[in-house]
Amino acid sequence: MEWLVQRVTSIYLGGFTVYILVYLALNPIKSYASWSTYFASGAVRLAWGLFFVSLLLHAWVGLRSIYLDYLKPDWIRFTVTVATAIAMTGLGLWAANILIRGTA
Amino acid sequence: MANSMATHRKRPVNLNLLQLTLQLPIGGVVSIIHRATGALLVLLIPYALYALQTSLESPMRFEQIRVSLASGVGRIALLLALWVVVQHLYSGIRHLFMDIDVGVDLTAARRSAWLTLAASVITVALLGVLL
Repeated sequence: MEWLVQRVTSIYLGGFTVYILVYLALNPIKSYASWSTYFASGAVRLAWGLFFVSLLLHAWVGLRSIYLDYLKPDWIRFTVTVATAIAMTGLGLWAANILIRGTA
Repeated sequence: MANSMATHRKRPVNLNLLQLTLQLPIGGVVSIIHRATGALLVLLIPYALYALQTSLESPMRFEQIRVSLASGVGRIALLLALWVVVQHLYSGIRHLFMDIDVGVDLTAARRSAWLTLAASVITVALLGVLL
């Protein structure tokens, strides 16, 4: 399951990274007006929302595989894993807040 | 002698990334770089969210972020972060190909490991000129 999550999210993250780099190379952000207009689009928000979900899932699986290799004893690994889960959830809620609140 | 052997054995070699890197073939080095860049990128998420949030708040706040990223230090930090992203992307693509049994023989695996390093530097150099 983790293996599959890591691969599926990696495809979206890779595609999104290429998209955003090409987009920024072709349309450099010049002003607040153009930036907030870009972000006002529902499709853009959806794409960024999926990006953050993929990013956090991908980060979670990746960090866990690092912890499994390097963190010993178990109670340290457990504590760090729980802290990471809380941090990832917090970052996800923060990202959701940015994307849902809209451009003021 | 026996004493030094004993202390040597107790050292946490699984954490000694530098020594591991020096002994490892290039494929292993790129594998560790993939992990290290991945961990580093996680640490950048809070700043990325902060910058995104601030840039969308108001024209004044947008300008604040734009100016700090356009400064000398900001540009260098952006290029370094970009290298971390691109290197992780390329070594990740290498791992995906190996998942489907492409390029798993030793010669090909070594070549592709070097290729990710060269390609990431070239990509960042090109993007640095463009952006």
